[in-house]
Amino acid sequence: MNDILNNTEEIVKKAKAMGADEVLAKTTSGRYKQVRFSNNQVDTTVAWNDYVTDVALTWNKRVVATQIRNFKDVDGTIKRLISLAKVSQENPMFGGFAKGQFKYVKSQVDKKILELENPIEYVLDAINAAEKEVGSEIESGGILFGKFEDVLLSSSEGPTAMASHSAIELSIRAFSQREASGHSVECSSSLKNFNPARAGVKAGEIAKLAKNPKVGDEGVFDVIFDPLIFGSMLAVWGSMVSAFYILTQMSVFVNKLGEKVAPETVTLKDNPAEYSLANRVFDDEGVPTRENIFIDHGVLKTYLHNTSTAKIFDTETTANAGLVMPNPWNIEMEPGDMNKGELFKQVKKGLYLTNTWYTRFQNYAKGDFSTIPRDGIFLIENGEVKQSLKDIRISDNVLNMLNNITAISKERQHVHWWGEADPPSLSPYVLIKNVHITKSK
Amino acid sequence: MEKEIADYALEYARSRGVEYAEVRAQSQVQDRLMLRSGILEAYMSAVDSGFCVRVIASGGIGFASTNKWTKDEAKEIVDLAVKYAKMANRKEKIKFAEEKGIETNWTVDQKEKIENISPEERIAKFVEIDKSLASCGVKIAATMSSCTIDLTSKYFVNSEGSRITSFVPKIGAFIFITVAEQGKTEQAYEQFGYSGGWEAFREWNITEKLIHNANVLKNVIENGKAIKPGVMDLICGPEVTGIAAHESCGHPMEADRILGREMSQAGRSFIYKGGLFWIGTRIGSNLVTIVDDPTIEHSYGYYTYDDEGLKARRRLLYKNGVINEFLHNRESAAKLGTRSNASSRSVNYDREAIVRMANTFVLPGDMTEEELIKDVKHGIFMKSFTEWNIDDKRFNQRYVGREVYLIENGELKHPIARPVIETTTPKFWMAVDAVSKKVEFDAATCGKGDPAQGVPVYTGGPCIRLREVYIK
Repeated sequence: MNDILNNTEEIVKKAKAMGADEVLAKTTSGRYKQVRFSNNQVDTTVAWNDYVTDVALTWNKRVVATQIRNFKDVDGTIKRLISLAKVSQENPMFGGFAKGQFKYVKSQVDKKILELENPIEYVLDAINAAEKEVGSEIESGGILFGKFEDVLLSSSEGPTAMASHSAIELSIRAFSQREASGHSVECSSSLKNFNPARAGVKAGEIAKLAKNPKVGDEGVFDVIFDPLIFGSMLAVWGSMVSAFYILTQMSVFVNKLGEKVAPETVTLKDNPAEYSLANRVFDDEGVPTRENIFIDHGVLKTYLHNTSTAKIFDTETTANAGLVMPNPWNIEMEPGDMNKGELFKQVKKGLYLTNTWYTRFQNYAKGDFSTIPRDGIFLIENGEVKQSLKDIRISDNVLNMLNNITAISKERQHVHWWGEADPPSLSPYVLIKNVHITKSK
Repeated sequence: MEKEIADYALEYARSRGVEYAEVRAQSQVQDRLMLRSGILEAYMSAVDSGFCVRVIASGGIGFASTNKWTKDEAKEIVDLAVKYAKMANRKEKIKFAEEKGIETNWTVDQKEKIENISPEERIAKFVEIDKSLASCGVKIAATMSSCTIDLTSKYFVNSEGSRITSFVPKIGAFIFITVAEQGKTEQAYEQFGYSGGWEAFREWNITEKLIHNANVLKNVIENGKAIKPGVMDLICGPEVTGIAAHESCGHPMEADRILGREMSQAGRSFIYKGGLFWIGTRIGSNLVTIVDDPTIEHSYGYYTYDDEGLKARRRLLYKNGVINEFLHNRESAAKLGTRSNASSRSVNYDREAIVRMANTFVLPGDMTEEELIKDVKHGIFMKSFTEWNIDDKRFNQRYVGREVYLIENGELKHPIARPVIETTTPKFWMAVDAVSKKVEFDAATCGKGDPAQGVPVYTGGPCIRLREVYIK
């Protein structure tokens, strides 16, 4: 770690010596493993070793960035970057990188993830658990992904920080019939809390319930969202709180600070806590990360900022800086006051959706979108699953959905899968009334 | 890129007694500029270079990559790949369809070398576009634009004697605009892509297209009317034809999806053995022929050899409305007892090559656009789309129109605000009763794979007319 830190600090010093105004350098030494499986068998196992230094520097408010992967000519790379800055154009909105020296919480990391000798065992645990639920006809597929990163950051403006991150996740989709499937994920920052069989059991349970689906009806329904599908919603809503998306009109939250956008029961925050997949103790400007409540009891309280966007909005950074724009890290919804069973009992006639994909917008500023539920889709009557359904679509509006949240469960789950529920979230079961459902004609 | 390290990795992999080994080395110079409402947010420039090893050992596949160019590192990743391949312990052993080794090299020409266009000039061009848009008479609330330049060199060697070097320059641009008029907003994006040099920039006519889009959005806000839902005729412009071809023909015809290898993430296909749809099944009218073709010169999805070292060719996916040929790599081809048609692509050295489209489009017919319109009593002409999606078996799809006009008695009338077609793949393609002569392409980035691999593609086709479909 010390060598990496020295090299990273050296890059900052060199860039300053060559004339840069402000310099950030972040080195990530990452080791990643992935197992991909389908039809109950491992298709491929992958390992990546990656060593990269991200550099962002400014010269007269011109912002340029690079990634160094070849360290044989670092001087030449920095020289070219500064030359590039000099022919670039001024960004009058650039507000500088974060200044000062900060104290950081020590990052918690599980080295066992790095040392994982046989990741395939975890995959087999999940496959076997799903099979136990459904029987030998089950076909399961998915991925197991493990990461271990050492990160060193050095800034000409003061911050120097180092941390390690670890995370492991398993995503399993189990088919009990050609059109009956269940999908579940297991996500953790350490092996201690990682239970792939739990994901296998849930995927199997949903797949079993999903057998013999009928085409669903169009209409307006009260809908229970499983934590996995609600994680997809949280990922979209959380990203829309980034100040960058506000500035580019790619958000329904433009000009809504201080306004009520959801019922009082809804509190949403960004929190890259040590237990989350996105655990991190500092952002890309070296500011210590923190919990940021952005919807507090239904009221939109803040956007997520780096130093530059914070200046545009006359506020302070929320420690969400990426190298160029602010991002959410890990979205959390505060739990509600009823358990899952009680929440289901609220529904006389409605739907229970477990997963979705392909969320696309007609207009981000208005919030009109559609998304396609997949895996278990169920008709609920008097709190009980009555019939498995298929081939429906949610065609609705972000603000309508937020405003129509009527119940939130106490139980929450860490969810993340592919690009559909990304960034990760801590997501409950949620009941939303009057959701518009459409289908093919 | 150090070819001798890649060669060393291959030799070392061979010495481990594997059934198959390949090494794919890649060096990529990438420049990207990003503007927000005419202000340059940042200019990013980087060189990425590394290599991967993929082996088949004991019937399993192992893959490892690194960006450290040393023999020790090469040995380490080969050992990892072999170890992981053996660990798979598959009941059904993986084999690749037979192929002979090829030694060649290929490049894409640039009329105007990208390297000769300074970053200063590239920035100035995109700032100018924003200025022109800001003064076009439409109130633009925000724009976000980016231009990406990739210069990619690859070196591919495998244990069957293939040795292929290539160089492909690509240029891409993406512009998102928000129009605000009368207190309402409408949004549109436009993507451009080309394999070749800076000559693309002039051919794109970005400014004209964006000003057109801005005026279309303004017109929709001011004059757009909702359509009365019902059964009517629909003419799809090339952009809509192209997205439908990509989503409901290209994707379901990917053999890895059909075989279930993507079952968890990208999903399966409505086409499967023992199901209602397989090779030889009718899926559209006689007029529907959809191809995927990587050999269209300077197209965004262009390649001469795929990432398994096989010569690219046109693939006839739906032929005269009948399911004809899947997209294959060597693994899927072996499973279905055929040969690969060179559909294996990867975005970088650290990503496994998987079955992908290149340029997917509907072949032209013999009518003019005017003839298509003239014969419509009541319908709409959907020239472009906003929201779209399709389920993971690629059966239920939805396209929401952006630039759309009412057609009455063969004449175009006022704009229609966001009409929707939500239908199934066979209903969509079976309804086609006329196809125009002129094919147009749009650049797009196709998503698949985990970790995600967005590959450059063209979507396209002529105008097509669908009879009696439900529009709302």
